[in-house]
Amino acid sequence: MDDISADLEAGNALMQACAGGDRQAFHQLYLNEAPRMLAFARRFTGESACAEDALQDTFVQVWKNAHRFRHERGSARAWLYGLLRYRLLNQQRRSSRYEVGHLPDESWPDPGLSPEQCSLADNDRKVMIECLKTLRLERRRPILMAYYMGLSYEQIADSLAVPLGTIKSRIRSGLKGLQECLRL
Amino acid sequence: MIPDDPQERQLLIAEHVLGLHDPQRRQEIDAWLAQDEDASRLAGHWQEHWLGAAELLEPAPLPSRLWRRIARQAGVAPSRWQWVWQSPVVWRTVSASLLVVVALLLGPLRQPAPVYTVILQAPGEAAAPGWRVTVSASGDLQLIPLQEVAYPRQHSVQFWTLQDPAKGPRSLGLVERGQPVVIPASQVGEVKSGQLFELTLEPPGGSPGDRPTGPVLFIGRAVAL
Repeated sequence: MDDISADLEAGNALMQACAGGDRQAFHQLYLNEAPRMLAFARRFTGESACAEDALQDTFVQVWKNAHRFRHERGSARAWLYGLLRYRLLNQQRRSSRYEVGHLPDESWPDPGLSPEQCSLADNDRKVMIECLKTLRLERRRPILMAYYMGLSYEQIADSLAVPLGTIKSRIRSGLKGLQECLRL
Repeated sequence: MIPDDPQERQLLIAEHVLGLHDPQRRQEIDAWLAQDEDASRLAGHWQEHWLGAAELLEPAPLPSRLWRRIARQAGVAPSRWQWVWQSPVVWRTVSASLLVVVALLLGPLRQPAPVYTVILQAPGEAAAPGWRVTVSASGDLQLIPLQEVAYPRQHSVQFWTLQDPAKGPRSLGLVERGQPVVIPASQVGEVKSGQLFELTLEPPGGSPGDRPTGPVLFIGRAVAL
């Protein structure tokens, strides 16, 4: 089992312990997962206070609703990020403010590997990065803006100064490409 | 309205996981996912794959106030007496007080006063000192934690100093989370006013080379006392 798989398994076990009311497991889950979640929330909101609020709200909900976690539907980490993004999206859509900052794909080649090469990656998460690299920049960039910053179709079109219809078409083509590459 | 075409449905789920829809549409899709096992499973697969993009981000140090806020709101904060008993701050204060008493009793044997001090702060957070460095007249260095900071457990924290920019930073070793460290003068070398000290997040066991590779957690410059 590689490090990432072991981490995910540990997260699942901790979440199940939280469902049983284990406070130490809750704290450990926080220590393991919150550092990167905080980085994600800061990237999403562009500032620390809102990011911390969203993370606080997410972990409080986790403690109250851990019994709803279903291991067979996915990892605890995916559930945590789902909860966090839901809160961040609600914050984002309430605010008219947004800033487009640095995206991690700026040093990636355009386009990168072929989908066949991507399938050689050794776990689901690495496959996603390799599949994203296969997309042309004009399709990849708006998708990453949605993922990392929670921007809507309209906000992405506005930010890139591209007509809304064109952005929708690029994102949907990009998602189709990802779906094929990921074999979903 | 949920489309009938299977391909359109798949795209709708991909868009939904990315959060591209407005709140009303999201609610509609959530209600559909709650009833459709296959659709829900596909959404789960997308979420699992997207973790790869989240994992590209460097973990951020956690401010200690955040856990206190969460624990209080979730109702898992320890009672006042439990807090006193378990608090590293209290034990550190008690230990420091005992040290002062011992130092006063030992009088002539006590350590010389520090000649340099460095307050290490998180970059851009001047109001949140994380560690304090003191260098005694004999050149021995002490690194003392000032706050509880959680670091990702799969990483190491490494201590560095920059004496000569032409030679680059030099490692002073790994630091245990929340533990004070004493480094002998022979390892520290000469300390000058304005000399840079920093803690960085590194792979397990420390930086693979002789330079920091991870993000700077805390940084500060030596001030002569």
